[in-house]
Amino acid sequence: MTATLELRDWLRPLADALIPADDGMPAASAVGVADAQLDLVLGARPDLGRHLGRAFALTAGISPAEALATLAELDPTAHGALLEAVAGGYYAHPQVRELLGYAGQQPVPVRPEDYPEYLTEGLLERVVERGPIYRPAD
Amino acid sequence: MEHTEVLIVGAGASGGVAAGRLAEAGFQVVCLEQGHWPDRGSYPAARPTYELEARRRWSGSPNVRGLAEDYPVEDSASDVAALMYAGVGGSMILYAADWPRLLPSDFRTRTLDGVGDDWPLNYAELAPFYERTDRAFGVAGLGGNPALPDGADPPLPPLPIGASGLRVARAHDRLGWHWWPAPNAVLSAPYRGRNACAQYGACMQGCPEGAKASTDVTHWPEAIAAGAQLRTGARVSRILTNSAGLATGAEYVDADGRWHNIGADVVLLAANAIGTARLLLNSASPRFPDGLGNSTGLVGKRLMVHPFANVLGYFDDRVDSYIGHVGAKIVSYEFYETDTSRGFTRGAKWSLAPTGGPLTSALPTRAGTSTWGSGHHAQVRAHLGRTVSWAIFGEDLPDEENRVEIAPGLTDSSGIPAPKIRYRVGENSRALLDFNIAKATESLVEAGAYRTEYESLMRYSGWHLLGTARMGTDPATSVTDPHGRLHDVPNVCVLDGSVFPTSGAVNPTSTIVALALRATEHLVANRRDQRTAA
Repeated sequence: MTATLELRDWLRPLADALIPADDGMPAASAVGVADAQLDLVLGARPDLGRHLGRAFALTAGISPAEALATLAELDPTAHGALLEAVAGGYYAHPQVRELLGYAGQQPVPVRPEDYPEYLTEGLLERVVERGPIYRPAD
Repeated sequence: MEHTEVLIVGAGASGGVAAGRLAEAGFQVVCLEQGHWPDRGSYPAARPTYELEARRRWSGSPNVRGLAEDYPVEDSASDVAALMYAGVGGSMILYAADWPRLLPSDFRTRTLDGVGDDWPLNYAELAPFYERTDRAFGVAGLGGNPALPDGADPPLPPLPIGASGLRVARAHDRLGWHWWPAPNAVLSAPYRGRNACAQYGACMQGCPEGAKASTDVTHWPEAIAAGAQLRTGARVSRILTNSAGLATGAEYVDADGRWHNIGADVVLLAANAIGTARLLLNSASPRFPDGLGNSTGLVGKRLMVHPFANVLGYFDDRVDSYIGHVGAKIVSYEFYETDTSRGFTRGAKWSLAPTGGPLTSALPTRAGTSTWGSGHHAQVRAHLGRTVSWAIFGEDLPDEENRVEIAPGLTDSSGIPAPKIRYRVGENSRALLDFNIAKATESLVEAGAYRTEYESLMRYSGWHLLGTARMGTDPATSVTDPHGRLHDVPNVCVLDGSVFPTSGAVNPTSTIVALALRATEHLVANRRDQRTAA
């Protein structure tokens, strides 16, 4: 699905109402949640497009606060899709991830050869010293 | 008509184990799998849209995914939604790979606690099969856990428990409570040609490294090399029987919509406790009017799913639980065994679990709150990398009202009647979960959590599908014999979690595959005495 310009214009203020500029973080629209990030979201989740279209039809022309309240009350599925699309686009943006110190689910080699701290601290020894905790059963 | 010695329905955990052993033993094996070979290159872990995709295409729910190879599960009358995956490797493609064993008392709940039923085998009988399957799947863990009897150590050292695991382990040390590094079917070192875990933290949407054990990487390549035939996109509609009441094979439909019949001496069902019950019920005939193997009326009944709660702890420091394997960093069996002073029987196992990335922080899939507008960023910063969750699996007592049925008017994409599940959390389970939520909260507070939240029952938690064709020695009160063979149709054998008489309170895959191997060995050893329709 390709979002129309009208839908993008409708989405921008709603997205900023959900995720405003605050706490050193940019507003949703500032990282393209209604633009390139929306295209990314709909590429990965085309199912959201239908619900966004319905949300647009239901709330175009009313204030963001009223639109969000209306959606939550009248069409929870569309409301949920809006939250997913806005947050999904926002948290997929590299600038947002960098600000949060989140690099994504990236490979990190496992190092079982590192001697676990729980052994050096003797934590397991004390578990063992307390003895078996299962009930024997034949 | 095409004919094979052994026909397996389902290429997941138990089907893969059986195919490997049977092919090795020289049997002619055909497996029909409704899904397809997974493509590791398509797994979403490293994509920026990973968390978005996890909520749809890579959801554990067939109803959410809605793929052509999935069948719908009507669950409107159920407290818990069923989760599964159709494909080679089955639900192992999306499982967390938490790999605990049942405890000795789990096999004797009637004798010890007066609830449920005793199993027709005990822990000691299953232990050698657990050890064999641990080696085959490449389990990472640490021997000596005092929650279990002594036995062979897992073949690989444990995975890192991370900052979150260490923090909670220290808390349990202070409390004097049990904890142990969790066994996981995830490689901590290269093993039998597979790579070690790369710590993507995305086990439940497919392991891109192939380090998480699933039979598409652990069993099927060798089974096929030994001669087993695996047919994907092949959906079985019913088991066929003759006038003598023996199975003669199965009817199935291929991915192009063409219908086929295949003959078999023996049919093995490995389609999970919903899929197998559905298939047995859909195989009703004038001779078996209530479904195949259902003279007791128990097929589909006693569905158990492990009622699941979770407690979330917020910490000031980063614990980065989203890095590393997903299954469990550490486990606790402190409250596993029955203590009647608590007001309920049986208990729960806890797994310390990660809490996801930023989208999951904004839209929690487990415990946690969503905040929008002012305060949104503070909430996400508080959650992301600074939370950890105790996942609480409670024992589910068998109840005939909890069941799989055929849903009137609902079919899969091939027109085959689909299942409906009814599942309600019982009073004992509710009391059990409430007690364990309180104790898990105490654990996380001791670990330094400045805030905790809990989810008293997670709806999308029906990973553990058990009990719908229970095994036993008495044909009047059980569907299969102690090796999974239908009492009513002795050349049909159930290999999956359907046969569990009770659920225990641990993730069941290690037990399912150990039981499947045991049943397969019995089949191999008794091949000359096997009744067939031929």
